[in-house]
Amino acid sequence: MNLVVTLQGVGGFFGRMERTHPLLPWLLAIVALLPLPLILSGLFNDYYVYLANRICIFIMLSVGLNIVKGFCGQVTVGHVGLYAIGAVTAAILSTNFGFSFWMTLPAAIFIAGLAGVVVGVPSFRLEGAYLALATLGLGESVRIMISVTPYLGSSTGLGGIPAPSAFGFTFDNFTRYYYLVMPIALVGIYLSFAILRSATGRAFQAIREDTIAAAAAGINVRKYKLLAFVISAMYAGCAGAMFAHMRPGYIHHNNFTIIEMVTLLLMIVLGGIGHVWGGVIGAIIVTIIYDQTKDFYFYQPLLFGSSMVLLVIFMPQGIGGLIDRYIVTQRFIDARREAGDGTS
Amino acid sequence: MKMFSRGLVSTALIAGVLVVHTSAVAGTIRIGATMRMISENGQKYGQMVADEFDLINKNGGINGNTIELSLLNDECKSDKGVANANKFIHEQKVHLIIGSTCSSVSLPIVDVTAQARVPQIIPHSTNAKITQKGSAWVFRVPVSGRYYAGVNAKYTGENIGTKIAYICAADAASQNDCDAMQDQMRRQFNAEPAYVAQVQEKEVDFRTHMLKIKSANVDGIMIAALAETMSRALLQSYEAGIGKSVRRIGSSSASNAPVPKIAGDAVLGVFYTAAYAAADKRPIAQLFNQMVRDKYGIHAPDHDFSQAYDLVRIVEIALHRANLNLSDGSLAADRTAIRDAIASVDGYRGLASGPISFCAAPTPQCRDGNKTPVLIHYTKGGEEFETEVLARVPMPINFGLE
Repeated sequence: MNLVVTLQGVGGFFGRMERTHPLLPWLLAIVALLPLPLILSGLFNDYYVYLANRICIFIMLSVGLNIVKGFCGQVTVGHVGLYAIGAVTAAILSTNFGFSFWMTLPAAIFIAGLAGVVVGVPSFRLEGAYLALATLGLGESVRIMISVTPYLGSSTGLGGIPAPSAFGFTFDNFTRYYYLVMPIALVGIYLSFAILRSATGRAFQAIREDTIAAAAAGINVRKYKLLAFVISAMYAGCAGAMFAHMRPGYIHHNNFTIIEMVTLLLMIVLGGIGHVWGGVIGAIIVTIIYDQTKDFYFYQPLLFGSSMVLLVIFMPQGIGGLIDRYIVTQRFIDARREAGDGTS
Repeated sequence: MKMFSRGLVSTALIAGVLVVHTSAVAGTIRIGATMRMISENGQKYGQMVADEFDLINKNGGINGNTIELSLLNDECKSDKGVANANKFIHEQKVHLIIGSTCSSVSLPIVDVTAQARVPQIIPHSTNAKITQKGSAWVFRVPVSGRYYAGVNAKYTGENIGTKIAYICAADAASQNDCDAMQDQMRRQFNAEPAYVAQVQEKEVDFRTHMLKIKSANVDGIMIAALAETMSRALLQSYEAGIGKSVRRIGSSSASNAPVPKIAGDAVLGVFYTAAYAAADKRPIAQLFNQMVRDKYGIHAPDHDFSQAYDLVRIVEIALHRANLNLSDGSLAADRTAIRDAIASVDGYRGLASGPISFCAAPTPQCRDGNKTPVLIHYTKGGEEFETEVLARVPMPINFGLE
């Protein structure tokens, strides 16, 4: 009861702020998260600021994946390939052509978006496991191509990627980098909400629920499926560029394997497919649990594998679904109680 | 409500774990090791390092202090290796980092340790670029890839021929070995490769390449790949009908135990350069072989075992020499003292093919410790394989840097 009241209170507060100005809650969130590095360094140590940066990158990835998988219902297992494309684009443009982060970031987003078209086209004719196989093949072929192309880093990887800088300020340590990745991650979350609430978001959800019904309702299914893949790919490209420029500025094709893809899927399944906050919650929890179980490296694959299976069996809607169900149940109980009070 | 309480308890538990992890004990020498422990051998290398440090502690430690080793798996992935290094440096406040096994992980960690000013000593990575970055904080125990290539090329050109085919896997060490060998064949014999195939790190089918190589009528085939991949390539070279007269040249991972175990008789005559030969007749080597056989069930240890063992001995020597205060306030000074003590190790003679020496300058000449590759060939395959030493070749310190 208290949780519902609290959630409703928080929701109401943000709702009122949003009515004042749509960006106000997000600006407040940025302000609220500004002292986090100081808190983490003070309470723990700098390593947790590094971990917060990694979480922000994973949030971008999982929120992006949620758009195509959660909102639009398209099965994709090639997201990590798009992440690799973003990272390699940023790395090559900065090291070989001397582009700054402010140019490599949009370039990585654009190139990954183009690659998203290639990944999205099979979704016109394929569904379910077949689409998963097609996207898996595309994602893995990106990694393999990087691994055998010296210009793309091949076996030794791409190093010496410079830290971003602006007006003489270089984001070259964990705390400074946090002030770059945290706002970008929040912008990513905001845009994801904006998409979900827009006509495009409703079209995505209609396709997810029933493709034929959506088409019958006048939705251009192909266009929206492709759009979902492209938007999702742009998120991955952005995450890739942020990963490439993070200290020590080194990427290797081994960072983009199927294991990373499964971890990413675990994040959104745990957080709740189709819930924007689900991707965020999943990214935070999985990153922290992975880090805290590092000492048990023999059992880590077993832990993560079995968690995935158990989640799919017992909590298919993830934490987001659990919270939704809890709120709905509480509202129902409250409504029943009020109705009961009224009749007595 | 129950669910909410559970959530609170879980959060408190996570916070508790985080707090426990931040504690650091004064008077203890903290060492972090990040290694590739996704294979049976990889786990045994890590276990041996842990066991050897345990043994030092049981024998009285270092000047009365004990060593606390934190061993983490980086799965040969640079992001995980970097995360491990950051964890060691900022959370566990280690005095020294050991790692990694893989060149592609050691390469970025060099930048992390240089920025944080923490000494790093490398047990296995051979990629020449590691010490060419100019970090004052890095030391390499194994032989650098630049030396291996020189010896391999000289022996090949003088004894086998110059028409060589190359199969190069996409891992950093193999690629480096392959490129360096081709470069040395050009420099020493003006010989261009007869055939080059770039393959995946875990490639399973080499038959197409082998058939093309067979038709190219080459003098030798260099297979640069990790152990399991190399074994498959060796077997398939015979399946494709390439006879024994075409010599097989292995990259340094040919010394890994799984190669003769998987490849069986296909390993006969394969020659390679390494930093240690189990066929070494010295008593220290025979005792080491026996210890690895008894403790880890490996018939004959490869150079990754010997290098990990030598690394522990070098660290032990350096820690004895370093003047350490081991208080929270002296962390930076202790790290510098350990770095300087490692740099002072000169002419260490252990299991390695030659003496291991470091010096203060942050150059490959100073930081590539072992400069003596040993040329080995297999005389028996299978579980109980045998090798023979063809030559020990001390190399000029500037070799491969021109």
